[in-house]
Amino acid sequence: MRPFKFTNTSNASSAINLLIKNPNAKFLAGGTNLLDLMKEDVERPDELIDLGRLDLTAVRPLVTGNNVVGISIGGLGKNTDAANHPLIRKDYPLLTKAILAGASAQIRNMATNGGNLLQRTRCSYFYDIAMPCNKRLPGTGCSAMQGINRMHAIFGWSDSCIAVYPSDMAVALSALNASVKVMQPSGTARIIAIHDFHRLPGNHPEKDNNLDHGELITAIEIPKNKFAANSAYIKVRDRNSYAFALVSVAAGLELAGGKIISASIAMGGVAHKPWRATHAENILRGKMATVENFQMAADAEMEDARPLAHNKFKIGMGKKTIVYALEQAFKGTGYKA
Amino acid sequence: MEEKNKSIGKAITRIDGLLKVTGKATYATDYPAKNMAYAVLFKSTIASGQITAIDSAAAEKSPGVLKVITHKNTPKLNIKGGLRGGALLQGSEIHFYGQHIGIVVAETFEQATHAARLVQVSYEEKAGKIDFDELAKDAVKPKGQELADQIRGDAKKALGEAAVKVEETYETPIEHHHPMEPHSTIAVWEGENVILYNGSQIINGAQSSAAATLNLKPENVRIVSPYIGGGFGSKGGQWANLVLTAVAAKVTGRPVKLALTRQQMFNSVGLRQRNIQKVSLGATKEGKLISISHETTTHSAIDSEYIEPCGDCTKIMYDAPNSLISYRVVPMNVILPTYTRGPGKSTGSFALESAMDELAHKLGIDPIELRIKNEPEKDPSNGKPWSSRKTVQCLQEGAKAFGWEKRNAIPGQTKAGNYLIGYGVACGTYPARQRDSSAIIKLKRSGSQVTATIELAASDLGTGTNTILAQVAADGLDLPIGNITVNIGDSDLPPAAGSVGSVGAASFANAVNDACIKITNELIAKSDKQFFVRPTARQMMISEQTLDFQTRADAKAPSNTDQYSTHSFNANFAEVKVNIATGMVKVTRFLAATGAGKILNPKTARSQIIGGNIWGIGMALSEESIIDPRYGNFATRSFGDYHVPSNLDVGKLDAMFINEEDFIPNKLGIKGIGEVGIVGVAAAIANAVFNATGKRIRSLPITPDKLL
Amino acid sequence: MNENKTKLTEEEKKLFGDLMPEELDEIISSGLNRRHFMKLMGLASAGLLASHLIGAEQLFARSAEIGDIADLAPAAIENGINVSFKVNNTAKKVLIDSRATLLDTLRERLDLTGSKKGCDHGQCGACTVIVDGKRVLSCLTLAATCEGKSVITIEGLAKDNELNPMQAAFLKHDGFQCGFCTPGQICSAVALMKEAKEGQASFVTADVRQNQQSVILSDEEIAERMSGNICRCGAYPNIVAAIKEAQTGKNVEQTWLFAG
Ligand SMILES: Cc1cc2nc3c(=O)[nH]c(=O)nc-3n(C[C@H](O)[C@H](O)[C@H](O)COP(=O)(O)OP(=O)(O)OC[C@H]3O[C@@H](n4cnc5c(N)ncnc54)[C@H](O)[C@@H]3O)c2cc1C
Ligand code: SF4
Ligand code: FES
Ligand code: FES
Repeated sequence: MRPFKFTNTSNASSAINLLIKNPNAKFLAGGTNLLDLMKEDVERPDELIDLGRLDLTAVRPLVTGNNVVGISIGGLGKNTDAANHPLIRKDYPLLTKAILAGASAQIRNMATNGGNLLQRTRCSYFYDIAMPCNKRLPGTGCSAMQGINRMHAIFGWSDSCIAVYPSDMAVALSALNASVKVMQPSGTARIIAIHDFHRLPGNHPEKDNNLDHGELITAIEIPKNKFAANSAYIKVRDRNSYAFALVSVAAGLELAGGKIISASIAMGGVAHKPWRATHAENILRGKMATVENFQMAADAEMEDARPLAHNKFKIGMGKKTIVYALEQAFKGTGYKA
Repeated sequence: MEEKNKSIGKAITRIDGLLKVTGKATYATDYPAKNMAYAVLFKSTIASGQITAIDSAAAEKSPGVLKVITHKNTPKLNIKGGLRGGALLQGSEIHFYGQHIGIVVAETFEQATHAARLVQVSYEEKAGKIDFDELAKDAVKPKGQELADQIRGDAKKALGEAAVKVEETYETPIEHHHPMEPHSTIAVWEGENVILYNGSQIINGAQSSAAATLNLKPENVRIVSPYIGGGFGSKGGQWANLVLTAVAAKVTGRPVKLALTRQQMFNSVGLRQRNIQKVSLGATKEGKLISISHETTTHSAIDSEYIEPCGDCTKIMYDAPNSLISYRVVPMNVILPTYTRGPGKSTGSFALESAMDELAHKLGIDPIELRIKNEPEKDPSNGKPWSSRKTVQCLQEGAKAFGWEKRNAIPGQTKAGNYLIGYGVACGTYPARQRDSSAIIKLKRSGSQVTATIELAASDLGTGTNTILAQVAADGLDLPIGNITVNIGDSDLPPAAGSVGSVGAASFANAVNDACIKITNELIAKSDKQFFVRPTARQMMISEQTLDFQTRADAKAPSNTDQYSTHSFNANFAEVKVNIATGMVKVTRFLAATGAGKILNPKTARSQIIGGNIWGIGMALSEESIIDPRYGNFATRSFGDYHVPSNLDVGKLDAMFINEEDFIPNKLGIKGIGEVGIVGVAAAIANAVFNATGKRIRSLPITPDKLL
Repeated sequence: MNENKTKLTEEEKKLFGDLMPEELDEIISSGLNRRHFMKLMGLASAGLLASHLIGAEQLFARSAEIGDIADLAPAAIENGINVSFKVNNTAKKVLIDSRATLLDTLRERLDLTGSKKGCDHGQCGACTVIVDGKRVLSCLTLAATCEGKSVITIEGLAKDNELNPMQAAFLKHDGFQCGFCTPGQICSAVALMKEAKEGQASFVTADVRQNQQSVILSDEEIAERMSGNICRCGAYPNIVAAIKEAQTGKNVEQTWLFAG
């Protein structure tokens, strides 16, 4: 690690003020991604502003007037606490499952909800400073494009970067139509829909998301949904635990008898951001919940996929996983094959 | 009458266990030293060529830095001193990506790590040989004599005439040992002598190679290695980092600690090479093999050769009049491959035992029956009798315990919810050998309490050496095990074999046993009494009122072993469930039935076997190191990319030992179990996957994408 | 090794007098060394004197305990930060480089080498310690963030001369081979007990909406929850058995088969 100044504060606006004073400063939350990248010399801040003492950890109902309209999860709350909060387990089990699918118990005890959204790609060329990488050093080229790209994107990639975004939690948040609440340097709040939060690489793969320097994630807000009883998070990976997804699918079904009122589907491991499967959702709306319809929806969703040399399998895997997730959701949250 | 204390064969809890569960066991970097400095290696970022310049100015100026060491200022070392893999900073030539090219030594680990990033290196790059897929066609005969073509009869012709044949190619990727303890060393100089705290599977080997490389006499180098955080072959022969730590300590005049990073482990301490294995089996309609061939194509390092012998199992497993075993190799700009748990046998058995399964399927014969049909009476490779071989019992007893009869022979038929279930079987073997070792026993008496200390330069990398030696000594001296102290892991102790190739237990135990006999003999000879019944060492110490007595035995490997073929054998049974949608495989049950001679301690032996099984699970399902063919670097570069099995990857594992009395390879009947536990495992799992899904995966690992 | 200049108490003299009469003089004059300790371990494995042992062990530990934390040379500290925190219930104050991880601080500054570095990147779990009651990875924790916190390492698990039941269960079930991952495994398992009591869910929990009370963990639940601790020796089934026994308090059978 390069030398850095360690700065402590217990107050959000002073944290932001400290950060904007120094363009090379970074917030430190759980540190599970930032310190990893600093040890690899990928991230090179000269100052860390520790957010560990900020009181932004609570999970509480989101209320408008007298109505509970959703839930708010503290940006600095730990992944473990979000996953296990009774309200989340009951009403947003998809989020619980997705968080628990990620990393390990120890890491989830450290990782914060805000930090999770901001974790960077696991592309191994990005991690290796000896390799060209547009995301790490714009203009140097993309090593993965002609390299080993089994883990990389099939949707939304550009000639400058084919990396995937690795978070499991964010895939569920996408299916749950969440928003990210940030505090701006001015002190005012900004609400960013999860779909607008992460970016596709385009010509600027160095920018993972639309957060500006000096903005602090204070909370994640999730509106109420009607599929708590019919949701599933499926994660396909190279070992049964403690591994990133090859493909993952978060699915929720709002059902009336055997009929789908609406479907919410998002995919992980396939793009530079959580990939909302809107084609599939549109097809399923109003249809009967049958395997044939699930397959039709999955086929339609994967039609636009553009695979690379080593990841053609993600198309078939994506289809099967969408169908499987929908089947599981239909059978009911908690159904165990 | 009081029964004589019998410790051998009992499930005794590891005597070093308490230290391990309390965090007190001292691994190499756990030794404190006053005024320690920290060293960090930096490595080449090309695979082939020349260093043209190293700019270390910024690193040298960086706070806390004591020294930057490169080929320009490294003292002259003997590159033929016996260390593996080169990379001793003796020149500007680069042979593989990630070759060590320098060391930064600083006051703290943080400073050294940071400064190592500041060194700028320029190269003149040459086109390297790094794309195995391209190069494999140019593979040539190996230099090593033992890897020359082994031909019996005419395998090709016989295959042509066979009623049923299997001719398939099986591939295994590069794998890495990745012991949990990365290779690390603390070097402390005292005048002309250096102490190296360093995990070493072969204590005396580490000592002699370090000494020779440093141009010192062995007695100037002391290796201290009481605890080793795993090795699996990678800490057998030692690598440059051992001696470079000594160099850094010498140059800075400070004790120096140098630990490889996990990422550096990929190109510092060897690997299991990639293999393309063509196996051809020809059989009669009844399933009698008439032709077996096993042709391996692989790679080695550019400047030296190590090839794991993939054809070894095939040489001896089945009876067939015609056989061909061959190896072809291409030199590549990668780090030198090295012994990796079950070298050759684990990967070779994947090919052979998958092919046997394919043959059984074609013939419509149960795979167990096919194997029994082809069970050889003598070693088919050399005509020697087996000292013992329990393959058939392993298969039969194992099948019974596993519930093999429940297997549906038609693949893809057994469904449970969203999973397909399958059973697979595969055999394995590993040679049983013993090497020379010496041991000292020191007896002490106080009142009627007799205690013993055992000393030898043996090693325990989790294998249970400490415990089994205490057991052997307890029985040999007639003492309770609590009265035995075992001192190993130090080159100051009498020389011993290493914990490699499954020779450790047999060699160490034999030395201790010889020393027990010798010390008893000497105690009896010293006394002027006559005995009708041979007294024990304990009795002699007491009856002769002796306070202290010690002796040393120099035990030799048995000489008559040559007349026999001496091996352990096993049969592995796997049950897998495969998720129909995702292709993810889980080994839900596994049984290894092993005939490995005398089991000294079933508790630690079981751990060795299931540990080997879990290695096999990794080999079958998840472990793979991928070289980027453009640069020669590993695209899988961290422990996050290289998937060793996690706890959830492992289902219920059972170890079964087939009773076996065989005193030919070893007087105590020990055959060794460190390696055989992995042999045959990957094939059993791949065969189970076939039984579950009808998909025959001939290229490991069986990741979900391959089952879609 | 650190010299043990600790004076033996009368009780301890008696303990060692009983156990190792022939070594008593040596122990009194120059302290316990590794050989003595190994011998004590031998007695333990024979089922002898388990209760005495930890007493002996703690005495041994005293030799490694350092009253004053050695300050590094001024050149060795950059962006120095003073951290006060509790380690194994003892207050510690140490001046560190801002870059120092908790793991390196424990190992290199506080002489607590039980916690291990297997990867330094959060990918193995060997460095697991318990901070304020929760298992975390000390390699991805900056020591600077530990101000005021309480850290428990493997060295701090045995209490009042007794092994933590989890340590005893690992010992009994041979939940390790080389032992390098073991401190992390045990710390992880100890914290896991608390998580299960709190009713935490895991990825293999069938229905996370149901039963949020204290749970008795199935083998699969234990395996998933312990998957953040890699064991390259492959002690997983034994680790699961040990945890099961520690959680239920019921004897879990150890099995191996002999046949033929
Ligand atoms: C071995 C390993 C395996 C993993 N496996 C998985 C997995 O399978 N699935 C998965 O989803 N994740 C996985 N992770 C990633 C893990 O979930 C993330 O590292 C973690 O969520 C990041 O959170 P943190 O609080 O530690 O962030 P930090 O590392 O502290 O911060 C990350 C970034 O976010 C910024 N930041 C943090 N908080 C805020 C805030 N409130 N406002 C603004 N900026 C902020 C920081 O400046 C930094 O740039 C794994 C991690 C490791 C090390
Ligand atoms: S895919 Fe993106 S992150 Fe990976 S090498 Fe290319 S530019 Fe870098
Ligand atoms: S050393 Fe911390 S997780 Fe590996
Ligand atoms: S006991 Fe060796 S790594 Fe777990």
